[in-house]
Amino acid sequence: MASEIEKGTKYIPEMAQSEIDELKGSIKAASIKVIEDNIERMKKSWKNRPKAMEYFDEISNFFGRREKEIQEQKKAGKKVIGYSCIFAPIELILAAGAIPVRIGSGWYDTAKLGDRIMPVEICPIIRSTVGAKMVSLSPYLELSDAVVIPLTCDGRTKLSEILSDYKTIWLMNPPRVKDDPHTLGMWKEEIQVIKEKIEKLTGNKITRKNLKEAIETMQNATKAFRRLQDLRKGAPVINGRDAMLVNQTSLWDDIGRWTQKVNELCDELEKRVEQKEYSSYPETPRVMITGTPMIWPDSWKVPNLIEESNPQGVVVVDEQCSGDRILYDPVGVDEWTMSDMVNAISERYIMACTCPCFTSEHGNEDRINWIIDRIKEYKVDGVIYYVVRGCILYAMEYARIKRVLDRMNIPVYYLDTEYTREDVGQMKTRVEAFLEMLEARVDI
Amino acid sequence: MVISAGIDMGVQRVKVAILKDNQTIAQSQQFSGFEPTKAAEQAFEDALNKAKLSREDIQHVTATGAGVDMVPFADSTVSMMGADAKAGAYFFPSARTVIDVGAEDARAVKCDENGILQDFVVNARCAAGAGTFIEAMARALEVQMEDMGSLSLKAERASSINASCVIFAESDVVSLIHREEPKSEIARAIFDAMAERVSSMVRRLGLNADVVLVGGVAKDVGFVDSLKRILGIDILIPEEPIYAGAVGAALVAAKRARRRQ
Amino acid sequence: MWELISLVLLWVIAAGAVLAGTLAIWIWSRNLTRKMSLLRVFVQVIATIALFVVLLFIPLPWNPILTGLTYSIALRLTIVFVLIAVSTLVLGRFFCGWLCPYALYMDLLSRLRKALKIKYWNLPERLNNALDALRYVLLAGIIVSALVLGVLHPDVWRFVIMLMGPFKPLIIVFLTPIEPLVNQLGGTLGFEMWGTSFHDLSGTIHYFNGELLILITWLVFFAFTALSFMVRLSWCRFCPVGITLSIVNRFRAFKWLPIMHIDKVEEKCTKCGICKRVCPVQVTEVYDEKRGNVTASKCIHCFRCVEMCPYEGCLNIKFAGKKIYKSKNWLKQEEE
Repeated sequence: MASEIEKGTKYIPEMAQSEIDELKGSIKAASIKVIEDNIERMKKSWKNRPKAMEYFDEISNFFGRREKEIQEQKKAGKKVIGYSCIFAPIELILAAGAIPVRIGSGWYDTAKLGDRIMPVEICPIIRSTVGAKMVSLSPYLELSDAVVIPLTCDGRTKLSEILSDYKTIWLMNPPRVKDDPHTLGMWKEEIQVIKEKIEKLTGNKITRKNLKEAIETMQNATKAFRRLQDLRKGAPVINGRDAMLVNQTSLWDDIGRWTQKVNELCDELEKRVEQKEYSSYPETPRVMITGTPMIWPDSWKVPNLIEESNPQGVVVVDEQCSGDRILYDPVGVDEWTMSDMVNAISERYIMACTCPCFTSEHGNEDRINWIIDRIKEYKVDGVIYYVVRGCILYAMEYARIKRVLDRMNIPVYYLDTEYTREDVGQMKTRVEAFLEMLEARVDI
Repeated sequence: MVISAGIDMGVQRVKVAILKDNQTIAQSQQFSGFEPTKAAEQAFEDALNKAKLSREDIQHVTATGAGVDMVPFADSTVSMMGADAKAGAYFFPSARTVIDVGAEDARAVKCDENGILQDFVVNARCAAGAGTFIEAMARALEVQMEDMGSLSLKAERASSINASCVIFAESDVVSLIHREEPKSEIARAIFDAMAERVSSMVRRLGLNADVVLVGGVAKDVGFVDSLKRILGIDILIPEEPIYAGAVGAALVAAKRARRRQ
Repeated sequence: MWELISLVLLWVIAAGAVLAGTLAIWIWSRNLTRKMSLLRVFVQVIATIALFVVLLFIPLPWNPILTGLTYSIALRLTIVFVLIAVSTLVLGRFFCGWLCPYALYMDLLSRLRKALKIKYWNLPERLNNALDALRYVLLAGIIVSALVLGVLHPDVWRFVIMLMGPFKPLIIVFLTPIEPLVNQLGGTLGFEMWGTSFHDLSGTIHYFNGELLILITWLVFFAFTALSFMVRLSWCRFCPVGITLSIVNRFRAFKWLPIMHIDKVEEKCTKCGICKRVCPVQVTEVYDEKRGNVTASKCIHCFRCVEMCPYEGCLNIKFAGKKIYKSKNWLKQEEE
């Protein structure tokens, strides 16, 4: 029988239940404290923070309202489908009546747990997710009936294996080269397979009607998302950290309700634009962050530094899959037939994506174009190139991005960090020096 | 007339400089120890005495350095990189690259003729690119730290140190001594290793002449020689390089005092 | 006298109606992904009507050299041909997308197909590229056969008309079966008909006899109609008029000539591929080319790509150097 061999081949070693409970308790408490602390700091930096932000503060607590809601919906029979990366087709999940949630881990403390089974040189997001699984910390991962993991990078490839010991994992194979017709065809087949898996899990058929509704729901979300980002183009009426929080909550919140709340927030902000009621001084150096995702709450380390240091900066836009890239691209449907809708969905998720996991024989300039366009539209003064140590893809693209930005005469600083709070002092020095540089240029 | 003061809260020492109309009139330093704020106060008082001034005469105090938040009487702060840029251009108007090798870290900054910071790079991860490396190696060689420089200049070639990390370098040095390699050659190798770390950091920034070296280590002739050789460029060193940070901060303070007037 | 005034009045009312219709569509059409298409259908309908009017109803001035039906046909064809040629040199294949009645027919078939929820079939890329090359071969074949067959006929004018064979608007070909009906209708309404009389045409133009030609014409017509339920705008991909016009955009010698083209702003393009997907004639240059003039030789200027591009200011219609229409964030459908 396989049982003895099976026990020995799991990645995560057996841990005493008391140890698990203790760690889970302490890390959860610490995480809630970090969440509250971050919110306090955001409120402190923005004296007249609108009331509409309170909703997002509430949803930002993983262990609060949203967890309860999903639990209740699960009891009522709905299925929860988690995903690790924004390549997963949300519209298909919504059409089948399931709940989509992102499971990416942003806890620094669980990265130390992940160190027990893999070297520290590996991407901290992976280590953190594994560590969270070791103590069953992530509410969304625990509640998922299935997890969609697109194998974008090596870390995620192995993460899927580690998690497959505990959860039903649906693998997706995004091609590394996405602008070839045959690789795109491969991806479309992957979407077809996932569609069937979703239908089987939920027991609901994805019909033309419910898929159309799902696409329209997401298009409304994109509309609200773009509306919020457009408001960041002028003098700051919303601080970077707050906008980043709003953006990220879309990954685990009920998307219809999120859309409505974002629209309410934008209504408020538009009034403030007229009244010239800004969240930071208009002359504040405008910073763009690009690089590896910054997942709430612990990864607010760097944005906190940027927006609280002396001189202060404001994050006006970011090129990260945890921020301004989440909902920016809509599904463009030509004819509302089933095949065209599924085709449009498949294309939307990878073709416009600027993730460095892709390459191309035609120059691979998608990310460069994205960054250049945002710099011009948002009048960015300087770019922070944020990389967590272990990410080969983002680290390697730095050399080219730097040359592009040098040619545009935009200062860029390579900020590499880890999932640790201990280097805050060092980070602070570097961020402050960079902001001083930007301030001097703004003066001139 | 503008009188300003700069306080550089280094990891090992606190340095203070007082400037009158951008001319240095007093300098003082103290070991930081366990109570850096107290050390800062003491150094400040000492400098004031030397300048024959009182606190009220100072129009603006700017702090810099690692312990920048521990100076309660500072009016403002500036980053070490900003201070270095200002100081470099102040000492040598032709300076465009300033390298600051401190006790525990090193940095290089790019500046223009007005001392405005344009780019910077930091090496805070490898201790072999900073001053404490010399201290540790001097111990291993059983030589006084002050003599390491002149000792290394006596060598024609450097021994080979294989370890890429300072922790292993120490045991490497010990085994070289046992093999009876001349101490001068070992010393030269040590300085070369340090200079390699620093120069690779500078190259990431891009080397623009003229290059200025500041920080405590700049006084060490052995290190300077190695750095010149490995960078392949001549290096300018101010008279008292350890005060560069404090002078830079004081220059920034003067500018801010003038603005408030 | 009154006739003249009533005629002028008729023209004024007609022009006014067209303008009003255009403005109505532009202002009241809410859905940004349909606006341009709706306007285009409207213009196509107007253009078709106008073309019929020009070809059938407008009286012609006198001519010192030639008389009779041959002449009237020749002149009408020449007028239309010159109009098409000039508009193409200036505007690129604008005629194809906005003024050609056959394209209107194809578009209406497409809309019928959409209403019946029949899925369209995209030619695989290799086939698409191969057929692109084939088009030019086809055109060469038509011209060569026209030249070869025409020489066999002694009459010079007929030779000229025959040479214009591939370029004459094909609606004339389709008018033939219903021509007697049209003539009768015109007669009852009091309009004098200077008809097209295909029989006479066939005698002058072709080596074959008229009946065979009509049969071939109908077969081709039905074949392409059926094909349109699977492949979008099947005729437009092979239309000889279209291929000739596309030469303007294909060869660099002419490519700078048209003052209207589709322009792409490089940094705004995310390579999302929507433009390539919605193009009814499967143009790939609008996606492949990175910046500047991305108009392909096959492009019929329907501007569906510009309409569906979700990034503001990425794909633009440039007219004489100015951007007259930009792609919009169509999620923002204008609020009531």
